[in-house]
Amino acid sequence: MVTKSAVLSGTLYTHDAWDHYWEGTNNRTNGNLGTVTTQTLDFNAVYGFKNRINVLGTVPFIWTQASQGVLHGQKGFQDISLAVKYELIRWQLRQWGTVRVFPVVSGSIPLNNYEPDFQPMSVGLHAKTIAPRTTVNFQGLHGLYGNGSAAYVFRSNVTLDRNYYYTNGQLYLSNQVAMPNQFVYSVAAGYMGRGMMFVGTFAEQQTRGGGDIRPQDLPFISNRMNSSKAGGAAVIPIPLHLLHGLQYWFMYSNTFDGRNVGQSNTFTSGLMYQIQFHRRSAQ
Amino acid sequence: MKSPSNDFQRSMRFALIFGVTFMGIALMISGCAKSIPSSEPLLPLTPASTDSNAGTWKMIVLTGPTQITVAAPAVASDPGYQAELTSILNEQGHLTDSERSLITYWSGSGVLRWNEILRNLVAANDLPPEPVNGTYPAPDPNNPFDIPTYPFSNPPYAARAYSYVSIAQYDALKAAWYYKFLYNRAQPFQNNTKIQLLMSATGLPSYPSEDAVEAGVNSTLLAKLFPTGINLISNTASEQQEAVLLSGKASSSDWTAGFALGQAVATAFLARANNDGMKSAAGNPAEWAQLAANATAQGQIPWISQETPPRPPMLPLFGQVQAWMLSPSNVSNLLAPPPPSTSSPQMQQEAAAVKSAVENITRDQLATVYKWNDGANSVTPPGHWNAIAVPYISNAKFSEVRAARTLALVNMALHDSAIECWYTKYNYFNPRPSQLDPSIKVLIPLPNFPSYVSGHSEFSAAASDVLDYVFPSNGGYFDAQAQEAAMSRLYGGIHYPSDIKYGLTQGKQVGDFTVNFAKADGAN
Repeated sequence: MVTKSAVLSGTLYTHDAWDHYWEGTNNRTNGNLGTVTTQTLDFNAVYGFKNRINVLGTVPFIWTQASQGVLHGQKGFQDISLAVKYELIRWQLRQWGTVRVFPVVSGSIPLNNYEPDFQPMSVGLHAKTIAPRTTVNFQGLHGLYGNGSAAYVFRSNVTLDRNYYYTNGQLYLSNQVAMPNQFVYSVAAGYMGRGMMFVGTFAEQQTRGGGDIRPQDLPFISNRMNSSKAGGAAVIPIPLHLLHGLQYWFMYSNTFDGRNVGQSNTFTSGLMYQIQFHRRSAQ
Repeated sequence: MKSPSNDFQRSMRFALIFGVTFMGIALMISGCAKSIPSSEPLLPLTPASTDSNAGTWKMIVLTGPTQITVAAPAVASDPGYQAELTSILNEQGHLTDSERSLITYWSGSGVLRWNEILRNLVAANDLPPEPVNGTYPAPDPNNPFDIPTYPFSNPPYAARAYSYVSIAQYDALKAAWYYKFLYNRAQPFQNNTKIQLLMSATGLPSYPSEDAVEAGVNSTLLAKLFPTGINLISNTASEQQEAVLLSGKASSSDWTAGFALGQAVATAFLARANNDGMKSAAGNPAEWAQLAANATAQGQIPWISQETPPRPPMLPLFGQVQAWMLSPSNVSNLLAPPPPSTSSPQMQQEAAAVKSAVENITRDQLATVYKWNDGANSVTPPGHWNAIAVPYISNAKFSEVRAARTLALVNMALHDSAIECWYTKYNYFNPRPSQLDPSIKVLIPLPNFPSYVSGHSEFSAAASDVLDYVFPSNGGYFDAQAQEAAMSRLYGGIHYPSDIKYGLTQGKQVGDFTVNFAKADGAN
């Protein structure tokens, strides 16, 4: 959380690459794709609307490419996401630390009419989403840190440019695709203190329906895309006297299990800067 | 000073605002998420005409309507027939909701329902084999459930399947019409006034049942063409039977006679299919090498597969499969003129045009690329044209035999254009734009066969030619669709302008053979 009237903003670059993927549950490579690389520039901002309410926004710009084969890479802005996070509960545990509970509502909307029907090269799935989330956070007195978060993601229908499609064992005679909802959760644990954070992370995505990629087929937007990712994250303050509040962020994750997704290695790196616009004395 | 109760109230107020806002947005999103249809919304069919002379319309494979004998039905007073009527009456007394929805589903048009099933089976089977240790195992018709499953319902396979099913159904229904008006047996609800008619009135004699003919033809042919779909196929036939026998439209002896007629006609078509050249259409490695050698001998860069590992060309000898309206000499006479030489400046210009189209594509053009993709896992271009025809057939309130005629004509032209197109493709063995210029990247998966001429263009020109004939007042819709389908392949980066131009020309030429047949088939 950032405090009232503070803004934490910056740009993160993500490099995600896979040469193995799960076709249904079958892990394979594909000579017509080689390594599929997705690069993302995320423009992020967190605004302290009140001390206990933050508004978060992200705008991603995405490039995709395949190292082999003839498929054309895609690029463009994807889906803007906005979230409101509220610190509902704060328990001071005398000799341990503080537990906070945050209800969060987040949503995302495609920023433009990008083509979703060209997986895995498309920049996104083109669904609108809204997700209630609960985050529980522990900050120990001596830097022990833990964070757990779970969300249920409702996804809107997606409109395709074609009037029929075959998925999940059925021919559908429509340009509308029902997108199965998703359950996601993540945990992080490690150290946070003195403006720094070092954590190990785990994230799980379970799609509540949808068909598998069939043998030698391309992915489809409503596939049952599940993933389990493990990795780590670090936030390190950059001690510049003229630019107090600058942070370096680094994240890594590996998709070690999945279904209808790439077996990705994902690196994120970038700078975030926190500025306090005006400070009011505590009441 | 804040009191704890103020804090609590504030928390509750936030919780309420959160909750209401979230519920509102979630309802908005889920309100859009209506169920997605997997069948056409067909209105109950009340045919504009009974087409009582359809028994005299020209046959395509059968020698005439009496090639298959249908014995005369029992008279109305026959105790066995009376027992059939009593059975219908009893069943109608306790209809379940699922029976009622089956009746509604099948009251649209059995011909169009089976076409939906056929498209479903094509899409279900339209996946190329996966590579195993650097090679591609071939689907085995004798072990269809083994991996890779049989068939790989690619565009030529699908064109042939659509045509066999549609033409067999058409010939069988013409025979059925002959016997219907020969025997003139009234429908059950007419022979027993206590029986309700739960489908629309067709005005047709009921023996043999036209629905049963459709079920007999389709279930027999589809089980051979798409053996892994056997459950869907037999369930569909049983459901049609159940719906029709409950509807008061046909009795069980009407059904039995019709189903047997449909099966017998299907068997005659299977005999043709066994010897139409399809079995050798895949060719062998020596034949594939010869195709490349032929192009090289002409001073041309031969096509190569751009898949990894390289995949054998798709059905290179399909051009020798037996056509419906084209003789083998018609096929060779209609060969398109040679494409620009692979070393010519014109070919360089065409490749540059492809690259420019891909790199400068507009969003509307991109929409046509994906609208007409019809690649793997699809109903294929022939199926797409079936889908285009369906609402026109339904809106025209064609009788079942005329609906079957329309699909037969369209699919005859599509099959013949697949043959002509494949004959041309493998005659020239012309490389794709992305082979000639590796900097060209494509927006849809690259079809694994030579470029010239464009299959989409040829299929679309042939189908729109036939549909223009059957539905003359379509306001240019079919031609516009064909143009769009053709151009989508340039935008997608997989075809040169010449492929499209000559594909459209050749498709129209092939379509005209079917149109000329239709003009003199007795149905006008």
